[in-house]
Amino acid sequence: MHPNEETLNAYADGSLPANEAAEIERHVASCVSCRQLVDDLREILRAAGDLDLQDPPARAWMRIERAIQLEQEGARAEGAREGARAVQAGERDLVSGHGHGPAAAGRYGRWLAAAAALVLATVVGLRYAPGRSQVAAPASQARDGAAQASAGDAAQSVENELRQAEAHYENAIKGLEQIANAEQNALDPRTAATLQKNLAVIDQAISESRAAIRSQPASEPAQQSLIENFKTKIALLQDTVALINEMRKGNEAGAARIVSGLKQKGN
Amino acid sequence: MDFVARCRAGDVEAFETLYREHAARLYTLACRMAGSREDGEDLLQEIFLQAYRKLGSFKGDSSIGTWLYRLALNHCLDYVRSRRAKMNKLTETLDADTSFEPTARRDTPIARMDLERAVERLPEGCREAFVLHDVEGFDHKEVAGLLGIAEGTSKSQVFKARMKLRGFLRRQ
Repeated sequence: MHPNEETLNAYADGSLPANEAAEIERHVASCVSCRQLVDDLREILRAAGDLDLQDPPARAWMRIERAIQLEQEGARAEGAREGARAVQAGERDLVSGHGHGPAAAGRYGRWLAAAAALVLATVVGLRYAPGRSQVAAPASQARDGAAQASAGDAAQSVENELRQAEAHYENAIKGLEQIANAEQNALDPRTAATLQKNLAVIDQAISESRAAIRSQPASEPAQQSLIENFKTKIALLQDTVALINEMRKGNEAGAARIVSGLKQKGN
Repeated sequence: MDFVARCRAGDVEAFETLYREHAARLYTLACRMAGSREDGEDLLQEIFLQAYRKLGSFKGDSSIGTWLYRLALNHCLDYVRSRRAKMNKLTETLDADTSFEPTARRDTPIARMDLERAVERLPEGCREAFVLHDVEGFDHKEVAGLLGIAEGTSKSQVFKARMKLRGFLRRQ
């Protein structure tokens, strides 16, 4: 008779008492299927202990750095508004031909960081999730109003929340696109082409999500899909801005890491 | 002024050094606990922001790395707990599926990326227990304490995770 799988699992990870382990060992020596299970479990244990660390994407520090700056300024929302103005100012500099060369290095840092602020104020601050509005409502609101709220009101509330989230994501995307488009010539043609290809795929996915929501406005999977696609687009644009930043700093290794990530995402 | 004091004083350059030194370990933990790189990245940002805010409470009883890891782990556990309620129904459905499909024998060693992807596919509950026990090296008593479950539940969740991983990996 075969030992059960939990016993074989305990034998495989060495947690079985010695007297039981000896018995299982004798069985496993002569039973192909049990030996196969033990071998597989040990291989999983070995591989789990051998997993590599993963480096976060380059944009991760940029987001944290900007968030800290906003903390230091004491008002995240005010900081985000300043960020938006800084992006526009940066754009004007680029259009007028200013903002290049060593003297402009500080300015680049500011408006690239400003783009991160836009995203920070939306993606991190908002954390939209379909169906979350009712769950996340303060307890007092829930006590006072939720009991009487009709299903129609709730649906309207979710739709409103989705619309607001969409507006925030679109603003963030617009700010990042302004920078990415203005600095396209800083990228080599193949990287620019990869980015364009990836963006086209995401834009198509956004269009499809929107179409799905139009036909089924209350569909939670469709809402979730739209938000996920926005987040994907923002992540790609953040990578682009981080890449431009690394190239400005002359950090070839950092730029190569980002390009490698972009290519993997494109495959 | 020492390194931690510079961080506490709001020196962003010093804080970036701290980030560069520890980000990979914490990001990896966050991704595995959350089950996705996107959520892992958001968690990493929240962890370092929290660290920045709480550096004043770091007494130096342990290394700064240990302090950061503990903070990150608690943050990931908070995230997991808050998501668990929402996911309970789905988890029950997935957990009910205890049949492991018979598959062809796998003769090659498991590639790290294959295992990484398979871990992402594990259901809520058993993924966290597996990551904490088999990857991070906590014992079942510690896992039980961290996740707020019984020690026996930790054992059964890790067993379940290993069996599911076996099924995923042998299908590849």
